[in-house]
Amino acid sequence: MHLPFYLLLLVVIIIFQTTILNIVAIAGVTPDLVMLLVVLSGFLLGTREGAFLGFIGGIVEDLFSGCYIGINALSKMAAGYLAGAAGDRLYRENIPIATGVTFFTSLAGLIVNYLLLLYLKIHVSPLYAFLRVALPTAAYTAVLAPFIFRRIFRYIQLRGRDL
Amino acid sequence: MRWVTAKRLLFLIVLIAVTLAAMRSTIPERTRLTPLGSKFRDVIEPVQTGFTWVGRQVHHLISFPVSMIGATARSQALEEEVERLKSEIIQLNEYKMENQRLTGLLNYKQVMAQKFNLITASVISRSPGSWFGMVTLNRGANDGVQENMTVLTPEGLVGRVVSVTASTCQVLLITDPSSGVGSLVQDTRTPGIVEGVDGKTMVARMIHIPNNAPVEVGQAVVTSGSGSVYPKGIPVGEITAIRNEPSGLFLSAEIRPYASLSNLEEVLIVTYAQPEANTPRVGGQ
Repeated sequence: MHLPFYLLLLVVIIIFQTTILNIVAIAGVTPDLVMLLVVLSGFLLGTREGAFLGFIGGIVEDLFSGCYIGINALSKMAAGYLAGAAGDRLYRENIPIATGVTFFTSLAGLIVNYLLLLYLKIHVSPLYAFLRVALPTAAYTAVLAPFIFRRIFRYIQLRGRDL
Repeated sequence: MRWVTAKRLLFLIVLIAVTLAAMRSTIPERTRLTPLGSKFRDVIEPVQTGFTWVGRQVHHLISFPVSMIGATARSQALEEEVERLKSEIIQLNEYKMENQRLTGLLNYKQVMAQKFNLITASVISRSPGSWFGMVTLNRGANDGVQENMTVLTPEGLVGRVVSVTASTCQVLLITDPSSGVGSLVQDTRTPGIVEGVDGKTMVARMIHIPNNAPVEVGQAVVTSGSGSVYPKGIPVGEITAIRNEPSGLFLSAEIRPYASLSNLEEVLIVTYAQPEANTPRVGGQ
């Protein structure tokens, strides 16, 4: 994936996520589109690229919000790395597998996010964080995976694996 | 361990350490926006406004046909309801006038108009992540907005301004886990702190309520004003559940905020509050 295109895509996705996406919120939960892009790209490209795209995606997201800079960078880097590791071991061209990987790696990324909140001394009840934030967000994000997986897959096939 | 692997590991450790340090130094309470960040947010503001407008139009477009289902029956029911409410309003107006005459109790809107200078603002974006409750408004330093100014709707408290650019400001919602509001249970004057649970589910909780305090589900919670940037007496929310805190010494209560934080569109920023006893100065440092 070419870096300038990836950055542009990220900016568009983040603007979309911070404005329009709220209208599809279910009980306050919205899908994490940056996470979706990161884990699917990582799944197809491998651990190194996954971690790199995750870090870049997260840092752009952090710069947008202007505070806690680095929290999304680290959590999405972890999610991207795990998705890459899953891609190395699993069959990559299967949508249900990609959806499952999206769910579990997003969940892992959100758990890293939660641990970083603890590091920042922001206390959120663990049960609440898991059941009302991490689990529903990961599920909602994974539901969208089948819709964009093929597009990312074709794009990566078309442009080659280079960043 | 090979030299290349060791180098990569060292790079990763340095990257994580630097990121953790950056995270700590950009906690909203401790930091100010850099000139570059401030300019970036100002530049992006028209784009965000445009997207938000498009989003609302799409939302209205989708919700209109859905709302038409069963519209006739609903319309009939509403007409009956209007008739009933009209007579109720007349009766309530009587009570209201009597109440004002006898007790000097003012309703909240009147109090607001007398005590606060307010400016209206529109929400142009929300924080992207799942954990934080922040919104960006289309008013900034050019409109006289300063950090720590209170933001509310006629229904209740929304949050406070945490950062300001020339044409936008960022508001920390009362449901954000890093938010804390000194509050009182209105009926019993029981003190406590309302803190956010997570930024998205729009629930808050009141903690450190003394164990023997007479708190009940359905009671209203208002700002206490004491030692807080928020003016006194602003409605915060309603108690929906009460629990024992793990220490056993205190109770905590789940609060449903009065302000509809999940679909905020327009809000009011308190740019000035009339000084009075127990009411702190709001806005500015």
